[in-house]
Amino acid sequence: MSAARRTCISALAALLLAPIVMPAQAATAWTVDRAQSQLTFYPTLAGGEFAARFEQFAATIHFDPADLPHSNLLVVVDLLSARTGDADRDTALQGQDFFMSSRWPQARFSSTALKALGGNRYEATGRLTLRDATRDVRLALRFDPPAAAGAAASLAGSTTVKRLDFGVGQGDWRDTKWLADDVRIAFSLALHASK
Amino acid sequence: MPLRNTADTYGSLAKFLHWSIVLLILPQYFLAEAAHELPDGLEKLQIYTWHKSIGMLVLLLVLVRIGWKVMNRGTPRPLGAPWQRKAAAAGHGLLYLLILAQPISGWLMSSAANYPVTLFDWFQFPALIGENHDLHETLEDVHEVLFFTLLAVAVVHVVAALYHHFMLKDSVLRRMLPFSRPSA
Repeated sequence: MSAARRTCISALAALLLAPIVMPAQAATAWTVDRAQSQLTFYPTLAGGEFAARFEQFAATIHFDPADLPHSNLLVVVDLLSARTGDADRDTALQGQDFFMSSRWPQARFSSTALKALGGNRYEATGRLTLRDATRDVRLALRFDPPAAAGAAASLAGSTTVKRLDFGVGQGDWRDTKWLADDVRIAFSLALHASK
Repeated sequence: MPLRNTADTYGSLAKFLHWSIVLLILPQYFLAEAAHELPDGLEKLQIYTWHKSIGMLVLLLVLVRIGWKVMNRGTPRPLGAPWQRKAAAAGHGLLYLLILAQPISGWLMSSAANYPVTLFDWFQFPALIGENHDLHETLEDVHEVLFFTLLAVAVVHVVAALYHHFMLKDSVLRRMLPFSRPSA
């Protein structure tokens, strides 16, 4: 085997193996400013909507409008941190009829694809796991890059899920007249580019 | 029966508002007590929803009633001794105030605990205040005290009406009764 040919083969091998051996390319990684970020959900009780929040969640954000194929979102929510403004209701939410957090303490959203909708609008599709169910979910996103150097970027999103798809609401609470099936979820993240 | 009040009797609208508010308030205590006793669950939510919806309906009706009273100056001429008229005016003023304050205190109480207030599932009222646990506890007491105050004043109101009817034998009770046409 000639030296030239050997070089050629190694170059080809390097090229083919590159995607495997090199770290996966990722879009800009962002750090979430927890104090300025919220994750809110809106149940509708007896025809009235109210806001409740998750106080603890971890979001891993890789997002670059110019590189959507390598952008992705991963959000892990501590269900025990759900706060509705009423202690009895908070307790009920952790019980077996709702989150059953003793068994499934976390919910998790992981994006599978992002696409641009024009302007600062994007759409993420992904999988949401809550209790023992995993469903496809589509998030409407809005990304605002930092207004000035050092300022935070903003990523806000919302979606509406059907709680019964995830088994949230067992027994009497399967009744959607008194507790609507649709639950709107919204988040607003303040992001700083990771160093 | 005229819609408006005359010198001798209340009009049909004033009567309708008076009696519909009475009928709506009557079950409120029992609904609240029943819901209070129940464990957290769908049934508790349902009964509280009834209680709250009825309360908000009372609030709307009492606002109409006060508006109608203000617009409709021809109230039936007062009967009884001057001190009785003064007492009646004060008692009626207090009743309006309490019937107004009671649903508002309930509305505030729900708002403080971040519970939505609706008129059944037709309409949602906005929260008046933000989450506040301590204020919620205080408002619970206020709501209860207001109820027993309202009950006390309403009892005096009923006793006074019956006194007029059976002892003084005047038209004070009859002129607010539905379908009655008191003699002048």
